[in-house]
Amino acid sequence: MEYETYEPVIGLEIHVQLNTQTKLFSRSMNAFGSEPNTNIRYTDTAQPGSLPLLNKKAVELAVRLGLAIDAKIHLHSRFDRKSYFYPDSPRNYQITQSFKKILEGGKVVADVDGVTKEFLVESAHLEDDAGMLKHFGPFAGVDLNRAGVPLIEIVSTPCMRSPKEAAAYAMTIKSIMEYIEASDCNMEEGSLRIDVNISVRKKGEDQLRPKVEIKNMNSFSNMITALDYEIRRQIRVYEENPGVPFAEVMPNSTYRFDPVEQKTVLMRKKETAADYRYFPDPDLPPLVITQSFIDEVKKGLPELPHKRFIRYTETLGLSPYSAGVLIADRALSNAFERAIHLVKNPIALCNWLTVEFVGRLNEDKVHFMDANIPIENVAYLVSMIENGVITGKIAKEIKEQMCLTKKHPQEIFDQNPDYKPLSDTKEIEAIIHEVLKENRHSVADYKNGIQKAFNALVGQVMKKTKGKANPEIVNSLLVSSIAKEE
Amino acid sequence: MQNLTKKSAKELHEGFLKKEWTAVEIAKAHLQAIDENDNQIQSFLAVFSDKTLAKAVHLDQKLARNEPMGKMAGVPIAVKDNIHIRGEKTTAASKILQDYVAPFSATVVEALEDADALLIGKTNLDEFAMGSSTEHSAYKVTQNPLKEGYTPGGSSGGSAAAVAAHFAPLSLGSDTGGSIRQPASFTGLIGMKPTYGRVSRYGLIAFGSSLDQIGPFSRTVYDNAWLLETISAPCKKDPTNLRLAQINYKNQLDSSSPKKKIGVPFQFLKKLEPRVRQHFDHALAHYKELGYEIQDIDLSILEHSVSVYYVLATAEASANLARYDGITFSKRNPEAKTLEEVYDSSRSIYLGHEVKQRILLGTMVLSQGKMDEYYMQAARVRQMMKHTVDQILKEVHFIMTPTSPNTAFRIGGIKDPLTMYLQDIYTIFANLTGHPAISIPMGMEDGLPLGLQIVAPYHQEMDLYRVSRQLEVANKHHLTHK
Repeated sequence: MEYETYEPVIGLEIHVQLNTQTKLFSRSMNAFGSEPNTNIRYTDTAQPGSLPLLNKKAVELAVRLGLAIDAKIHLHSRFDRKSYFYPDSPRNYQITQSFKKILEGGKVVADVDGVTKEFLVESAHLEDDAGMLKHFGPFAGVDLNRAGVPLIEIVSTPCMRSPKEAAAYAMTIKSIMEYIEASDCNMEEGSLRIDVNISVRKKGEDQLRPKVEIKNMNSFSNMITALDYEIRRQIRVYEENPGVPFAEVMPNSTYRFDPVEQKTVLMRKKETAADYRYFPDPDLPPLVITQSFIDEVKKGLPELPHKRFIRYTETLGLSPYSAGVLIADRALSNAFERAIHLVKNPIALCNWLTVEFVGRLNEDKVHFMDANIPIENVAYLVSMIENGVITGKIAKEIKEQMCLTKKHPQEIFDQNPDYKPLSDTKEIEAIIHEVLKENRHSVADYKNGIQKAFNALVGQVMKKTKGKANPEIVNSLLVSSIAKEE
Repeated sequence: MQNLTKKSAKELHEGFLKKEWTAVEIAKAHLQAIDENDNQIQSFLAVFSDKTLAKAVHLDQKLARNEPMGKMAGVPIAVKDNIHIRGEKTTAASKILQDYVAPFSATVVEALEDADALLIGKTNLDEFAMGSSTEHSAYKVTQNPLKEGYTPGGSSGGSAAAVAAHFAPLSLGSDTGGSIRQPASFTGLIGMKPTYGRVSRYGLIAFGSSLDQIGPFSRTVYDNAWLLETISAPCKKDPTNLRLAQINYKNQLDSSSPKKKIGVPFQFLKKLEPRVRQHFDHALAHYKELGYEIQDIDLSILEHSVSVYYVLATAEASANLARYDGITFSKRNPEAKTLEEVYDSSRSIYLGHEVKQRILLGTMVLSQGKMDEYYMQAARVRQMMKHTVDQILKEVHFIMTPTSPNTAFRIGGIKDPLTMYLQDIYTIFANLTGHPAISIPMGMEDGLPLGLQIVAPYHQEMDLYRVSRQLEVANKHHLTHK
């Protein structure tokens, strides 16, 4: 996506719900999908006389993130009150970190179209989530199960220059949060929410033009579409209003993405800045972390996605694309890890896993990890090819059976005699002879140096053998047969 | 039968254990006094006659069976109506909480229930503890039991009046800027504001969270010390609780101490009314006789304490009171149709004038463009005050001032809010700095008592009780409450 003389400037605010057992300031369960208003205690409903009690696990998860993105972890931070009136927050203030946040700076490395890029994080802080309003015709109710769920808000610098970069950054944040086991990052359930700040400017301009905020995009593909739409809209606005002050043509405003219309829709103009009256929460003493606590957390930190990416591409030889696909899905990547030693060629395993199985199961909207196909069976299938037991073509058929019946590939293979490979060279030679007779034109073309013609001949042979012939044998026999003709 | 309402908590408890009288007799005597006299005094918002009697019957049975007894068994205690007793209403003397039933008990209340005390009722206060006269209650105006037509002070005026009127030997108040000490001064009682963080705030309706502390009212130093040691158990539900070890104060009251240096900010007392000054000098003379050394200290920074307090306390209150919005549990205007109307009209109708004034002030000092000038500046001055007072309390063992610049004033006598705010000129700084402070009677003027305020270093409540006890002994011959 190119925007000619313009360049987009994008910054992201990502809210991630932490997967603690209990809420940030109460002992209520942090769970999705419970009956309304069952995971609530006095603090969550702001009963007078109740007090917030900080959940130390949430602090630990924030420290993990800090270590993962190499942020400065402040030993002293603080919680502040952010005041606004809305029924989803019974206190009518949110407890957040505004003046002294727990994490500052940090960087995220992501692969964008095969190029490794570094994105800078400005800060990250802990805060509590709000409840949810539900509308029932003439009245509304509020479900406070979500009120008080711990969030970490990760704010990037305005360092992204294309929708793809923004998506790559967001996906990397998601996988980091998954790898450090801090969140399930389920976008549909709202445990990862992305707000985007976006402006455009002429390439070479050093000042930023007014930005627009787009709220709550619930998938990465929506995010790319929304950003592309919004960038083009902003460029059009500037082009149609030459010479008008930027602030006039592009007032500060909030948009949302309409997934049906595939465009951004104006929610509100920010005529006056909201006054949240932040001040330190007197109920919560300063949050003090010790270096030894940080060291302890560091010891338990798992391999991070970027490290794994480097290992996959440099040691295992996966393509950056394949490595990226695997790593973006931690569970899948961990399954891959378990099976690497079962095959000779990890690249083949990766391709079978990510392209054949994941791709096939996607058609049924089933995630590989939920499909009841053990990764060991996938590895077994790959090793059957590697050992020459079956051809790739047959393997695809066995894969289909695996997806349908969940059976072990050996069992499927044993039950179907058609899957036995054709390795009798006499038999193959006879078929080649037939093919050469029927396709004189292709033979002639091949002799004139047209490689495509050879491939067509291979295809014909494979067709006649129903894919059971080993393609390598077919190749060499074809070459020698044509040579013999001369 | 002697009049049990004249007895101290100590005497009531000991007599009960010795079977000189029963818990039921104790309960009945106090409930009867309330029944007969509280229609004049108006100190209670709720009296738990049935529950108190039932508990007393239970205690008598326990005693008869020789079962283990709580440490304050049989002692009637009144509780300010901004402290939760589970299953009872907590109104904070506000219309907006008219129907609010506490879903849990405050930590201090749990401690008293465990100690087998008799929680006899909930007392009146200025709405949300905002005031110095208890006139700002949405329900009733409490009288000073010592003189009709005069206020008992505030905001814990009901708790003070209840003890002064002998409805209970002990009560709990809360002190954000002087709300225990000033009423104690006005009613001739002992009132303690502990070190910030000694007593749990869990279950106390917050006004200024960084300033609020619960503390006891009593007629004797012993009883006061006893109640404080009972309610100051470490509490994990309050993150600002210091979880200090509980100290047995009451048994060490008469032990000797080498701490004999008293600091007095004479400069700060220059404008003091001569008659109040006279009583103060008299009290100092007592201590001199007892071998104390009086030293002039510079507390000129306290000139700013009222301004700093009204910025910080109202800022905190503006957020603390935002929850009373007519949505979740507070009273909602039934006429309101939209969300905006619910917010606006419920608060307009059910919150009192003083409360609204303070919410608005607090909102203003935190608003964009004003925050640096007001809130931040006040927070900085508060830090300086903490430092200054802390330094002074390294040189002297006590700081003494009058508790209040005057004796109790007439109900309706102070109309101007700024004059009212100056009631707390001597008490406020201990809330800003977090130091423990006590008010003890130091004399009478026209039938109304005057209190002496003593401030000590952090966590040194024991020293405050010891030094208070010495004045109590000296004053014994003209004690107000015989």
